[in-house]
Amino acid sequence: MVAAKSTISLCLVIVGALVLPAGLRVINRFAPAAGVAPSYLPSIEQPRVREPFDEATAAQLRESRPDFVVIGDSMAGTRIVPGHISRMVGGRGVAALLYPGSSVAYWYLTFKNLVANNPPVRAKAAIFFFRDDQLTLAFQRVTPGSLDRVARDQEPVLDRVLAANALGTFAGVHRAVQSAYHGERTREWLAPLLAQAPARIVAPGEDPKTFLESMNTTQFSLETLRKTTVADLPESTEESLDFPGVVGHSLLPEIIRLSETSGVRVAFIRVQRRPTADGPPPQSAALVKYVHDLREYLAEHGAYFQDEWGDPDLPLSIYGDGDHVTNDARIPYTEHFFQKNRRLFQ
Amino acid sequence: MIFHSLDFLAFFIVTLAAYWSLPMRGQNLLLLAASYLFYGWVHPWFLLLIFATTFIDYWSARNMARRPEQKLAWLWLSIITNFGMLGFFKYFGFFAENVAAVAASVGWHVPPAAFAILLPVGISFYTFQSMSYTIDVYRNHAAARTSFVDMAAFVSFFPHLVAGPIMRATNLLPQFERERRFSAAAARDATVLMVWGFFKKLVIADNVGVIANKVFALESPEFPVLWAGVFAFAIQIYADFSAYTDIARGVAKWFGFDLIRNFEHPYLAASPSEFWHRWNISLSTWFRDYVYIPLGGSRVGAWRVATNIMITFLASGLWHGASWNYVLWGAYHGALLVIDRMVGSVWSPTDRARRSLRIVQVPAMFVLTCIGWLIFRETDLPQLIHHVQLNPWGASAPGVLTGSYLFLLALLYSVPLWVQDLWAELHGPDLSAAIERAEALVSWRRTAAQAAVCGVMVAAIVVLRSQAALDFIYFAF
Repeated sequence: MVAAKSTISLCLVIVGALVLPAGLRVINRFAPAAGVAPSYLPSIEQPRVREPFDEATAAQLRESRPDFVVIGDSMAGTRIVPGHISRMVGGRGVAALLYPGSSVAYWYLTFKNLVANNPPVRAKAAIFFFRDDQLTLAFQRVTPGSLDRVARDQEPVLDRVLAANALGTFAGVHRAVQSAYHGERTREWLAPLLAQAPARIVAPGEDPKTFLESMNTTQFSLETLRKTTVADLPESTEESLDFPGVVGHSLLPEIIRLSETSGVRVAFIRVQRRPTADGPPPQSAALVKYVHDLREYLAEHGAYFQDEWGDPDLPLSIYGDGDHVTNDARIPYTEHFFQKNRRLFQ
Repeated sequence: MIFHSLDFLAFFIVTLAAYWSLPMRGQNLLLLAASYLFYGWVHPWFLLLIFATTFIDYWSARNMARRPEQKLAWLWLSIITNFGMLGFFKYFGFFAENVAAVAASVGWHVPPAAFAILLPVGISFYTFQSMSYTIDVYRNHAAARTSFVDMAAFVSFFPHLVAGPIMRATNLLPQFERERRFSAAAARDATVLMVWGFFKKLVIADNVGVIANKVFALESPEFPVLWAGVFAFAIQIYADFSAYTDIARGVAKWFGFDLIRNFEHPYLAASPSEFWHRWNISLSTWFRDYVYIPLGGSRVGAWRVATNIMITFLASGLWHGASWNYVLWGAYHGALLVIDRMVGSVWSPTDRARRSLRIVQVPAMFVLTCIGWLIFRETDLPQLIHHVQLNPWGASAPGVLTGSYLFLLALLYSVPLWVQDLWAELHGPDLSAAIERAEALVSWRRTAAQAAVCGVMVAAIVVLRSQAALDFIYFAF
């Protein structure tokens, strides 16, 4: 009798743990719903509030109609001076579409929505700066909302690629949990409430959202961080360096396809990571093989590729923190880059 | 394999289903196979190390039983092997780095070691556990076991393998040697314990961990910001480590095993000695029984006791990691204990006064613990010196606001932890203690409360789990 009762009580606890969270769906009905829209990544996200598309930059590009566009993260940001390239190519327009901490999903959308499909923009080339295996890491640095500013309302290609990469074997379980409980939807309104609650106490007269933004931009800006943190030194894994195994699930084929349909040539510059005092940075055999395969793949598809690794003109002295180049070295680097890739600008 | 992954969930369900359909010997064999799969999931070569530890200690203990006159030699074999492996994998880099630094200071430039050694996760835990077996056999506190499977399953038992609690052979081995019967009541309470553990890890520890990481990424944080970060880290490390223990105890309970409690509301301690009776209990008692007492413990003169305490805590600090800040942290806590003993020897308040004083002593001890966490968290010594020299009155207005905000945010996320601890301290028995009485009669009110609490915690995990999936902190030790 006691055993039967114990079994029932065990079942009740398990059922409670699994069924009660479904109450989130009911709570969500009473929650603030402003701005909730279906995600552009419906396979991996529930409807949520999103940041609007960056129309201002799109309009600016339509007006300036640059001939060359530089796309990337802080690797390009600390190396390239767009105005200087512009002067070297006789005043032709060069735009920089850079976002610190971004990765290939962000670059793909930037290229697609701001350059290739943004008439009358008709760039001759889009130049992507990347490190090691970044071009085939579809999910790197993708977090909810991180792509909002460059995403249109529907992004079926990106959705398909990310869904194929999402969360490995158990993607279906994660999706089922989200679809059963609508937890992401609750998170949309509850997480900001929690984050803002202490701000309301600490700075009662101030808008909590403004307070948090100001705190992040002043107290935790890049300038305030330790060099080791700013350096941002990701490392590759054995799996990610299997080029034939990963390229099919990456966004690289989509960038190439977009290049072919739009007529915008694409160029990929693999920046040299921080060298040692004795020479270029060491590379694993797997990374050497990866770069070799990447080079062949891009050549086969008519894309431009430049590997900076081992360039004697890029010594340790021009590097600041991590893989970034010092501010003083930006102009010399830009000139060196232009000279080395002159044919790209013809 | 990590607990908070679907890989583990699938592994747990499949292993459990197979386990309860087997006889006892088969169960032990299955647990051994499952534990090796769990441990070798990412790096299969780790299995060689755990196998070597197990084999050497099994063999040493067997030989102690066969040749009592050679007991000491076999004990040394076990100790040297275990410390040798631990020393090589955990401390070689630290040693080489310091030798190079000392040589450089006298103008002799030694190139730093050209290879980095990957630290096998959990090695500090299972070598200590396995070594306790040979020491106990040597002391005649435990008998040398004949079954290698039981011994190997004891060393590698997956629920607590990588982050404790460190179990003694005298406690855990007998559990492998007796019949185990499935108990739905124990499984129910184990489920609650696991859900509470996942909640502490994914909602509390990982969210406040983001705050601590943010602060400790700053080049020169202002005083209030730094201490808000230290407070966040204090919450993080407690929630994180106790979460692992709770999940481990819950998982073990599903398999019919009882692991010891590793935490007893440590932030409600009123003195350094009380803190160490409440924090990482399995490790502190290991050092007490195998280091402090053999050194003479408290049965010697005052200076020797102080020396014994300092040696024990320096070793405990070094156990946590190959870095000077951990040694400093150990020295700091050792010094606190020595001072505590000195004060205790000249001043003993009445029970009533002691109770009244707790109101002041508990917050004071929490502040002292936080100072220790600053030393523990800051691995860069020049940065630590900079932090210690910060002027509390020199903070800017934005610095004060930011510090206050981060402190309140960490406090907000940690409310369930404080509530549980205070409730347990004031009313007891708490959730974990209730589980000790696992076979208690079924109370429907209690079941309903457990189901409701589990439901709320799962909902909180679904909604508020941190976007930053952080590893359990003690995996690094």
